Amino acid sequence: MSKKDGVEEAIGGLLDAYDDDKEAVQYHVQLKKGDISDFVILPGDPGRVEFIAEHFDKAELVAENREYKTMTGEYKGRPVTVTSTGIGCPSTAIAIEELANVGASTFVRMGTSGAMQEYTRVGEKVIATGAVRYEGTSIQYMPIEFPAVASHDMVLALKDSAIKHNLDHHLGIVQSKDSFYGQHNPEKMPIADELRQKWEAWVKGGVLCSEMEAATIFVVGSYRKVRTGAVLLVAGDQARGESLTKEEYKAHMSDSVKMILDSSLDIEVEV
Amino acid sequence: MFDKLEQVKHLPISFGEIARYVIVPGDPNRVPIISELLDDVQHQGKNREFNAARGKYKGVDVSIVSTGIGCPSTAIAVEELIHIGAEVFIRIGTSGSVDGSAKKGDIFIATAAVRDDGTSKQYIPIEFPALADTEVVDSLIKASAALKVPTKVGVCQSKDSFFGEVEPERMPVAEYLDSKWKAWQKGSVGASEMEAATLFTLSSIFGAEAGGIFAVETSDKETIHKITKIVLESIYYMEKGVKSE
Repeated sequence: MSKKDGVEEAIGGLLDAYDDDKEAVQYHVQLKKGDISDFVILPGDPGRVEFIAEHFDKAELVAENREYKTMTGEYKGRPVTVTSTGIGCPSTAIAIEELANVGASTFVRMGTSGAMQEYTRVGEKVIATGAVRYEGTSIQYMPIEFPAVASHDMVLALKDSAIKHNLDHHLGIVQSKDSFYGQHNPEKMPIADELRQKWEAWVKGGVLCSEMEAATIFVVGSYRKVRTGAVLLVAGDQARGESLTKEEYKAHMSDSVKMILDSSLDIEVEV
Repeated sequence: MFDKLEQVKHLPISFGEIARYVIVPGDPNRVPIISELLDDVQHQGKNREFNAARGKYKGVDVSIVSTGIGCPSTAIAVEELIHIGAEVFIRIGTSGSVDGSAKKGDIFIATAAVRDDGTSKQYIPIEFPALADTEVVDSLIKASAALKVPTKVGVCQSKDSFFGEVEPERMPVAEYLDSKWKAWQKGSVGASEMEAATLFTLSSIFGAEAGGIFAVETSDKETIHKITKIVLESIYYMEKGVKSE
């Protein structure tokens, strides 16, 4: 294959995705219809996909390309899929668009976050009802005034599951940012004042924790008319200088997976 | 803002004169219509666009206070109501339809609002979402189902300019209004009204709970009563802690 053919093939694949051709292999996630279930769990880290799939009753690797790794299987008879999004909203928007093209209708982000309130402590789970859109991707979909809101029925299903598993949890708003180090070292940044002012506003406004993907999942989800939710483990607390040990982290992540998998049983399977 | 126990400046009521649950219509003339479904009604007076009444529904104490049109007066009402002891707000209103999912005569329950208002931005930056409280939304959905009233559930848009919505073409910013409106339509916004964004934002940042239910392109007394019935039942559910099924 000449270099020119390769480029044409790549562009052809891109156009297929643009055409919403459901039979086409999607350009970035490398998935086609039939590869995934309607219910998709979205971790950021591709290295976490296998760990999540270990909680399924059965699972197989269906695709792996760039930061997108996908495994599909079953939990208590319900088809489930896990796909990693990579860090940040740009790669996450691509994942949602392409997964929705090939049959996904429910997306639940599973990730980690930093505490923002006195009462959000490491080890607790935050079920996001909405997100602060402090990121650049969702504004290329919808004007900034539009609310990044999780689906009501998904929030309730996750809440019921958290209660059932007896997990310490909160319901509320999370902050989605683009710059990880802008949060952790704001004073180093040229726009330090803005970062600090906004952060203080979110804290005063009751925002529970900070992460990097939820806002785009909710906004793109509204536009694509799919169900969305997010469970964020509070893994660090800057103010207190607290974080989880490796063992604690793994146990808590396992709790998040179980909580999401049980919530999937409340969601009707869409073929 | 206020010194402790300071009287409020705009509302006709003060401490001890407000229920935990407050129904907030825009129109002061809708307060007596809504109060027809309450027992032991007490009309507490009116100042400017703020008309207040209080009564009981199945034994639960309920207030009704109008906000006037738009987010600026709504913010004043919400701040002062929270100060004197209100904790849960349910807006009853009328709305236009946006993406066509909710049509004339439908009843719409808002889960969140587009912050196309100026007031909420003077509280918290625009990236913050204006969300209705999950429990209030859940109670409204459950109450509608129990009363067998079909509803649409989704995101509403809160604007400041009424005529910018109904006659955008005559505005100097016609193109801006039109392109935004098209985005709301594509983004599955169901209803357009004028107070929810500020009501939701202020409630959420000040630790109160809020929700909203709207009659789409209709405002007859029968429909307002139908919505009021849903709201009162939802308040009863919340008070009794009835769990969602």
